[in-house]
Amino acid sequence: MGEAERRVLIVEDDPDIVDYLSFFLEDEGYEVSTASRCSTARKMMDDFRPEVVLIDALLPGKSGLELLVSLRRDPQWSELPLVVVTGNDKILEDDCQSYMGAHEGVRGPDGVLGKPVDRATLLAVLRTLLNDTKPN
Amino acid sequence: MQKVQLTAPGPKTDFDSDYQRYWEEMPCYLSVHDPDFRIIDGNRRFREAFGERIGQFCYEVYKGRDEICPNCPVEATFADGQNHPSEQLLTTQDGREVPVMVHTTAITDDAGEVVAVMEMHTDIGEVKRLQALLQRSQERLVQLFEEVPCFITVQGPDRVIQHANRKFRETFGDPVGENCFKMYKHRDEQCLVCPMQQTFDDGQAREHEEVLFTKTGEKLSALCTTAPLRNAEGEVEAVIEMSIDITQIRELQSQLASIGLLVGSISHGIKGLLTGLDGGIYMVNSGFAKDKPERIEKGWEMVQRNVERIRSMVLDILYYAKDRELVVEDVDLTALVSEIRAGIEKKASDADTEVRISLAEDTGVFAGDPQAIRAMLLNLLENSLDACRMDKDKGDHWIRLDVRREQPWMLVEVEDNGLGMDQETREKIFSLFFSSKGIKGTGLGLFISNKIVDKHGGTIELDSEPGRGTRFLVRLPLDAKPSIQPEDEN
Repeated sequence: MGEAERRVLIVEDDPDIVDYLSFFLEDEGYEVSTASRCSTARKMMDDFRPEVVLIDALLPGKSGLELLVSLRRDPQWSELPLVVVTGNDKILEDDCQSYMGAHEGVRGPDGVLGKPVDRATLLAVLRTLLNDTKPN
Repeated sequence: MQKVQLTAPGPKTDFDSDYQRYWEEMPCYLSVHDPDFRIIDGNRRFREAFGERIGQFCYEVYKGRDEICPNCPVEATFADGQNHPSEQLLTTQDGREVPVMVHTTAITDDAGEVVAVMEMHTDIGEVKRLQALLQRSQERLVQLFEEVPCFITVQGPDRVIQHANRKFRETFGDPVGENCFKMYKHRDEQCLVCPMQQTFDDGQAREHEEVLFTKTGEKLSALCTTAPLRNAEGEVEAVIEMSIDITQIRELQSQLASIGLLVGSISHGIKGLLTGLDGGIYMVNSGFAKDKPERIEKGWEMVQRNVERIRSMVLDILYYAKDRELVVEDVDLTALVSEIRAGIEKKASDADTEVRISLAEDTGVFAGDPQAIRAMLLNLLENSLDACRMDKDKGDHWIRLDVRREQPWMLVEVEDNGLGMDQETREKIFSLFFSSKGIKGTGLGLFISNKIVDKHGGTIELDSEPGRGTRFLVRLPLDAKPSIQPEDEN
């Protein structure tokens, strides 16, 4: 794990997608940690100190959107780039909008990726976000 | 015929002859009766209608009777000197029936004795005709109110139902004197938003949609309209509510919405499965490129698992879309479980989950659709496997299948120590398109399983707690005839 490795936290409950994205991002030189629940993700924040978090919008228990709001409201993580990964269909968009609408003043996700995740887009989004927040 | 001396005799004057003319021309039948009920005088109209009948009994002349009428007003006036108004039906000499209003006046002699009674008959034919017309139109209104094919009630300011039409009574029971909210909402207090109250308050008509409950507990969607009923002073005295049953329209709408949801849910599910396939292919390819056989193996498993999921999803969709009828034959659960055992064990070992199958030696056979029961079993088992796969809090996962015969049921128990469900999930778990699995679920599997069990005349019992796991207990009747009728799709 070299200095250059950027830390990505994947919050996703589907084991296949977790495996896929971690293998892929590790291949691309990222340091990856995963959590299947919001509560686990929240606990990992301090130790892992991710530089970007990929959040599945539909997680068991708490919705991924709740995790987003809770991180945004935490002064320690309020500027952390957050990317929501969704099935990107209409129902979800509506849910997302009404959820964000109910939390006024909270900045929405820095990026939204639709499933199936396009690898090139994912890399482009990560590069942009990481350069923006922490230039080399 | 008795001679009646009305006044002391004197010379005839002009005054007398004027009154004679007025008597003659009075626009009613006038007759004077002696105590024997003989007519001793009559005016022109009397003579024209009944003929020259002076000296005859009044009951003969007016009614064609042989004896005095019961409740004769003339007799009563002879007795007490008072007017006895009544309604009578007379028959003229040409046989025409004339309804009349009768008034009687006592004629007394100088000593104050009633010596004769004058009877005045006013033709009330027109009044009678109007009365009959009024009654007919009232009856017609009542008939309309009763027979209109919607629910009508009239309610007072106290929310008490004063009137209800037939359709209302048949559907909700006899409501007069009951509160509206109790009668068709099965509530103990007034609804939060009450259009009746609003109409009472501002006198405006209101339209609103309600869910009502019939006397048998059935749910109805209704479009209700309220309108004020005002008294002569213009105050709202009561409110009429008319409701149209739109349950069928709403059902149709929800079916259409279901189709929309199905399409959405399928595309949603396919996207998730595609991500899984993508991932598998990526891992196989990158595994080859980096010469990492473990990764290739893992990737290939992902591909297989997701292809399998697509397959079962397509089967579920077909089952839902076609509302397949049961093909009933002898089902041997022992054999059926042996068939699917290998597949489930393979999937479970991929998910690091132990499979515990406890199968009675000989469960015998029962009447059912083997294919449907197989689909139901697979759905329940895969649901349990998913619950284990998604649970990251426990190290050791297991699923358990227990099949046994307990008269009068064939019992199938599927249990896991996976994620478990909270109350909300438990309540919705058999609903169409409800899924707790995020992008991987279509919300079809358990809905269809429940339907299959239902069609067999059985039940599914659910016991689940978050963190502990889930247990499904399926009871299939051993001797009940499964329904083979296609079900209504609601």
